[in-house]
Amino acid sequence: MSISMASFSPPPPPPPPPFSSVRPQFTHSSSLFLPFKRPFLLQSTPKSLPDNGAGVSPSVAAIEDPKQKDPLLRNPVEDSAGSNGAAMSMASAAEVEVLSKFEDPRWIGGTWDLKQFQKDGTTNWDAVIDAEVRRRKWLQDNPETTSNDDPVVFDTSIIPWWAWMKRFHLPEAELLNGRAAMIGFFMAYLVDSLTGVGLVDQMGNFFCKTLLFVAVVGVLLIRKNEDLDNIKKLIEETTFYDKQWQATWQDDNNGSGNS
Amino acid sequence: MTSIAFKPFTGLRRSSVLPCPNPTTTTTLSKPVVKFHVSAARTSPKLSNRNLRVAVIGGGPAGGAAAETLAKGGIETFLIERKLDNCKPCGGAIPLCMVGEFDLPLDIIDRRVTKMKMISPSNIAVDIGQTLKPHEYIGMVRREVLDAYLRDRAKDNGANVINGLFLKMDMPKSWDDPFVLHYTEYDGKQGAVGSKSTLEVDAVIGADGANSRVAKAINAGDYDYAIAFQERIKIPDDKMVYYENLAEMYVGDDVSPDFYGWVFPKCDHVAVGTGTVTHKSDIKKFQLATRNRAKDKILGGKIIRVEAHPIPEHPRPRRLSGRVALVGDAAGYVTKCSGEGIYFAAKSGRMCAEAIVEGSQNGKKMVDEGDLRKYLEKWDKTYWPTYKVLDVLQKVFYRSNPAREAFVEMCADEYVQKMTFDSYLYKTVAPGNPLEDLKLAVNTIGSLVRANALRKEMERLNV
Repeated sequence: MSISMASFSPPPPPPPPPFSSVRPQFTHSSSLFLPFKRPFLLQSTPKSLPDNGAGVSPSVAAIEDPKQKDPLLRNPVEDSAGSNGAAMSMASAAEVEVLSKFEDPRWIGGTWDLKQFQKDGTTNWDAVIDAEVRRRKWLQDNPETTSNDDPVVFDTSIIPWWAWMKRFHLPEAELLNGRAAMIGFFMAYLVDSLTGVGLVDQMGNFFCKTLLFVAVVGVLLIRKNEDLDNIKKLIEETTFYDKQWQATWQDDNNGSGNS
Repeated sequence: MTSIAFKPFTGLRRSSVLPCPNPTTTTTLSKPVVKFHVSAARTSPKLSNRNLRVAVIGGGPAGGAAAETLAKGGIETFLIERKLDNCKPCGGAIPLCMVGEFDLPLDIIDRRVTKMKMISPSNIAVDIGQTLKPHEYIGMVRREVLDAYLRDRAKDNGANVINGLFLKMDMPKSWDDPFVLHYTEYDGKQGAVGSKSTLEVDAVIGADGANSRVAKAINAGDYDYAIAFQERIKIPDDKMVYYENLAEMYVGDDVSPDFYGWVFPKCDHVAVGTGTVTHKSDIKKFQLATRNRAKDKILGGKIIRVEAHPIPEHPRPRRLSGRVALVGDAAGYVTKCSGEGIYFAAKSGRMCAEAIVEGSQNGKKMVDEGDLRKYLEKWDKTYWPTYKVLDVLQKVFYRSNPAREAFVEMCADEYVQKMTFDSYLYKTVAPGNPLEDLKLAVNTIGSLVRANALRKEMERLNV
């Protein structure tokens, strides 16, 4: 990803200090961010006390550095951080090429300049939505730093509700209504052919009304194949936390002291 | 995880000669000043010629608060802490109510945070804190200072503070037998190795944190935990001015898939960190991303310390067994969404100790599991709404980037800010104005819908 790191040739490092902990330093000179990424020396717990051996402790846990007060450590790492930039070009999700800030002529002062989106005298909200989508996509792939001089203040609620409706709700509504209509027609025909009850009489029957309700709910909730699983997982999720809290009371049902 | 088998309870209950305990204690609910009506279990035998002995394992906020309350209640208290100057890796934020409830001196608080900035995945930044009144703040403390203060106060009230490492404990064979605790005492004479000692007590409070040994001893079960990774960075003074009383929260998939990244100001440096439950092996990557997002603001900083610790995600399956109770992180009392644990640790320690003091009639009678269960009952009843609301918030708003965008958008609303701070600072889920709640619900749904719609378009761009 950030292979451009290799193009910057940092000074060769002194041999790394023999301590198991490391403290890289941000250098003033370069505005570049040099990731430090020592190969996981931090995982060895320097403490001699066996207190972290209990079952739950993960491998990265309790990396408290007992030697942090040692003044020797602060300095030698200053230069060694530079070398790692070339070697550690992998892994980081933070891509830091200098030129990678999001730029767009219509993005001014941390928000979209609506005057530049005019079309026939009114704002072209679709274009605003498109621009924001592109900006978010860019940021998702190249996360950027925030800065106080240049804050982002765009709020999606400035785009009026009918613009959202027209663009997102209406097509989906058309799709779902289409599905509902097809299912409805077919089911009405089926029920009619099986029972002889016509459409108007079906509407008066409780069982048919229930079927209709189930069909509508089904069309609304289950839009893709994955939705079936998602709904099941959601239901389980809503009660999972409660179960975890109640767990301590479960075993009390066997005992005699019921409080 | 959904089906947990529990061992049947045998051997720790009293013999069948005595009827099952039905203490007629009445408690007044928790207010800052708690009054007891102590009419303890009639069937508990009176302790002859000694007071009740209770050991508190772990000397953090939970242990310190528990030991103080026990000692004040006239119980012979032993507080066992393995490292008296322990500088715990911790966010260090305490709510306003803790200062009042625990009578903390104001000089313990290094900084008063009165502003927070929430930053969305697309770097939309929202300032929150305008609704705070002048006397309201979030206190940032150094854990070593707070822990030491609470422990010393416990000692002043009569608790015996022992510098030792708890190893294991022998369960009592019959109801009247004491617990035998084995620990290594560091008394300076034996050097770093310490000497093995034992201690007999009647009840144990396990306040020894996320990797609790007491919990293991009573087979309390495991919990899911998050890893919080934090770097302390000393930044130049002009940049530190920005963080004078401001804390930042960064949300986004790059920063954490199920938690948030933060920059918290400490006494003279900032703590930059992040956490995760589901992707623990990528924590370094998330930390880099967090640093990147804050890059401009911490430029020129020097990392002075790197630390990590586990954060429980939910309580252990069993928080109580016989006369052993768990409190604080050992029990798993960390809230979701914000990951707050200090206040709840101290409060649970105090509540548990109060239950023991009451059940034993200030140390005169032997306690019983039923007395300790009262602490659990009270705790669950008082704080369950808080935990549940935060759980729902986490499930809804930390799911995905669109949800996080919506979250940050919602935080710009004044009503939301007021409700959030009221419930955080005073630890009550305050019922709001129903009309405003409705508006809030509508706005939330609107934000979620918009953000999800944008995300769908983003995916379409890819394809």
